Amino acid sequence: MAFLSVEHISKTFPGVRALDDVSVEFEKGSIHALMGENGAGKSTLGKIIAGVYTPDKGVVKLEGQEVKPTDPRIAQQLGLAIVHQELAFCPNMTVAENLMLGTMPAHAGFVNWSKLRDRAKALLHEIGSDIDPHTPLEQLTTGQEQMVQIASCVGTNAKMIIFDEPTSSLSTRESEHLFELMGRLKARGVSMAYVSHRMDEIFRICDTITVLRDGKYVATDPIAGTNRERVIRQMVGREVLTERPKYLDLQPGEEILRVENLSSTGKFQNVSFNVHRGEIVGMAGLVGAGRSETATAIFGLDRHAKGDVYVKGKKLPLGKVNESMRRRVGFLPEDRKKAGLVLGMSVADNISLAHIDHFSAFGFVDRKREVTEIEKLTKRLRVKAPSLETITAGLSGGNQQKVALAKWLARSCDLLIVDEPTRGVDVGAKAEIYHLLDEVACQGVAILMISSELPEVMNLSRRILVLREGFLTGEVARENFSQEALLHLMA
Amino acid sequence: MSTTPGRPKFDFSKFPEGGLLAVIVVLGLLLAIFGGSVQLPKFETTPDGKRHRAMVTNEAGQQVPAFETVNKFFNPRTIVQIAKDTSFFAIMAVGMTVVIITGGIDLSIGSMYALASVCGALILSPYGPSGGGTATTLGVLATIGVGALLGFLNGSMITAFKVHPFIITLGTMAIYRGIAFVQTSGQSIGGFPDAFRQFVRWEVLPDLSLVPLIVMVIVTIIGGIFLAKTAIGRKIYAVGGNEVASRYSGIRVGAVKLLAYTITGLTAGIAAVLSLGYYGAGSSGDGQGYELNVIAASVVGGASLIGGKGTALGAFLGAVILQMISNGLVILNIPQNYSQIVIGLVVIAAVLLDQFNAAMAQRRLLARTSAIKKEMAASDAAAATPTP
Repeated sequence: MAFLSVEHISKTFPGVRALDDVSVEFEKGSIHALMGENGAGKSTLGKIIAGVYTPDKGVVKLEGQEVKPTDPRIAQQLGLAIVHQELAFCPNMTVAENLMLGTMPAHAGFVNWSKLRDRAKALLHEIGSDIDPHTPLEQLTTGQEQMVQIASCVGTNAKMIIFDEPTSSLSTRESEHLFELMGRLKARGVSMAYVSHRMDEIFRICDTITVLRDGKYVATDPIAGTNRERVIRQMVGREVLTERPKYLDLQPGEEILRVENLSSTGKFQNVSFNVHRGEIVGMAGLVGAGRSETATAIFGLDRHAKGDVYVKGKKLPLGKVNESMRRRVGFLPEDRKKAGLVLGMSVADNISLAHIDHFSAFGFVDRKREVTEIEKLTKRLRVKAPSLETITAGLSGGNQQKVALAKWLARSCDLLIVDEPTRGVDVGAKAEIYHLLDEVACQGVAILMISSELPEVMNLSRRILVLREGFLTGEVARENFSQEALLHLMA
Repeated sequence: MSTTPGRPKFDFSKFPEGGLLAVIVVLGLLLAIFGGSVQLPKFETTPDGKRHRAMVTNEAGQQVPAFETVNKFFNPRTIVQIAKDTSFFAIMAVGMTVVIITGGIDLSIGSMYALASVCGALILSPYGPSGGGTATTLGVLATIGVGALLGFLNGSMITAFKVHPFIITLGTMAIYRGIAFVQTSGQSIGGFPDAFRQFVRWEVLPDLSLVPLIVMVIVTIIGGIFLAKTAIGRKIYAVGGNEVASRYSGIRVGAVKLLAYTITGLTAGIAAVLSLGYYGAGSSGDGQGYELNVIAASVVGGASLIGGKGTALGAFLGAVILQMISNGLVILNIPQNYSQIVIGLVVIAAVLLDQFNAAMAQRRLLARTSAIKKEMAASDAAAATPTP
């Protein structure tokens, strides 16, 4: 019997289905990886176990008995704890106070400081840390803060600790400490769940690996019985599209974009490539590979980018959005809610947002001209909304994405960079967006498409650039497309 | 793009100011009914233009002063009085609304009003009562110019240092008023050119000075056109709605914010001109506490402190409502002490009502969108089935 099992868990947040009928079994004393791309649901599952969220459907069973961790405190009492990705402590208080938050030793309302200190010291010693409990938390490094979090979990006698993307803010040395500690906890019989998308670590310390994708359960394998390629395919593989884009039959035009040795410290290094008129070049890679960062740098949003970028042969000054837009570069960002749309404004206003001065004469907006243009676009993209004045916040993901795309089509760009164009978009709208990108390419626009969906990027691109950890690891031509070849370069 | 069939009715969600107008009408009715009437001395104008008390013969055959019964609220004098009192706040509320739409706030507006008024006073005063057209023009331009400059300073600091506007304007609120105090050593400066004062106090009929009202209406109209019809106005809403997305769309966010704060200062300057003309003096104590009234007027008028929402007309109507309540309490003989409490309650009620309306609008939108989706799905399915 599994130590902890979650059965048929479903959880929906406004606008997104985070988990859909997921069942996983965790064995006692094992380090169990939960893997998946962004939005796969792995973090949500961990938080449900630890009581941060409650599932809409499904049960959590501890040693066969159903339990209801409805809030973190109850979860703690059940022995379920989580080490958060964003550390959840009070930086203004000392280590000791933070460790004892919620369980302060008190007598008649007054805190027993010496007891507090001793308990904190004991806890830190247990996990092998030499941090002075009197240190204010804000003075600790992220790695040390994490140690304190773990000490807190151990202090509550957690039997199951969930680590949510623990190494995302740690140095290599701190990560080593963490792995050592996890080994020691394992020896003590503590079960652990390791939520991450970092392959190397998972293959190093985990015993079992469960892959989630788009909120659904995909597979569980023992580490020994699987390999990186298999895991990646489980993470990203989707239905393969069969229709061949029409732009491929046309000859690509002149070079629109040439990037030479573009770098931005900490994000990506020495990236060089080019894109021609009338072709779609795909950019593949895992999360964190530096793709979006390269795109934002080309678009002018990164003031620290260095290198040479040429648009239509002329050098483009970096770090100036207006300059990039003047040279007819457009950018559809990854997160439409945060950066692609003004959700409180109407469909019409959003579409004309990047082009508003064009629709104006003497500062006044020419509404008629605006509306004619916008109607043409919404018809072409088949945007489903009650009217042009509909507030964008009320549209579905697919329609929102179309509006965000329409904004750049209104400007007739020479180079259009799209970042995850079908993320969070339903199947019907996806197909429409693919057709649209093909159409736009046929009209002579150069498209750079960043995507984490291999079938999508393989179907639409003439060439695929692959990035890994900030470096361009290769470029694959269409005749050589295969998931294996790409995965090999990505991981 | 399909439209929902059969909806020729007036869509209230498109006209939020309608609610405000309704409130004003209701308030007006309440005041007219419950305010009661009062006996006022009757005046008449002789053919040669002089005003004197009207006389009427009573039962005993004597000539006695005539009185007329006049509704305390619904008479030209009261209404113009309310309009005049409102004008200062309404003009500044239009400016404040622009800043609030961008997601910011300006606590220094009362102080900008004071410093602009003091600067104008210092320019006009040396000309004395005999000063003419040049003095007046100079004074007006200086006052408005100082206001705009102070707003520009606010905007520059807010865009240059990444400090929250609340903090910056909290500081300038004290600094600007302090400068005004130093300039005047706390004295009130008066002695303005008669030409200037007559211009502002121009009375169409006895006790009916319309200049503040006219200026208020003009500012509201210009502000409304600016926000609704210009490209920059659109950008102001965009920056308030989502600053990141605006930046990603090539909008120069810093320039937009700078303009917004300059506009607020400009309106403070305009209000200061009216104050100088009407009251004949400028001092560093002018406009103390005005910032809260102005912000309240904007908020009651529908501006959201989160940004992205608000209108010039709403600001104007919001100021009218608050002033009607304030003056109304006097008309209803309710002690002035209560006015603060009532105004505070009104502001909270207005914001809650606004949130409620927004939630309702959201629900209606979702209902309509899913109805349309069903329609489209049905028509797609119908198109897909082969004809027999």
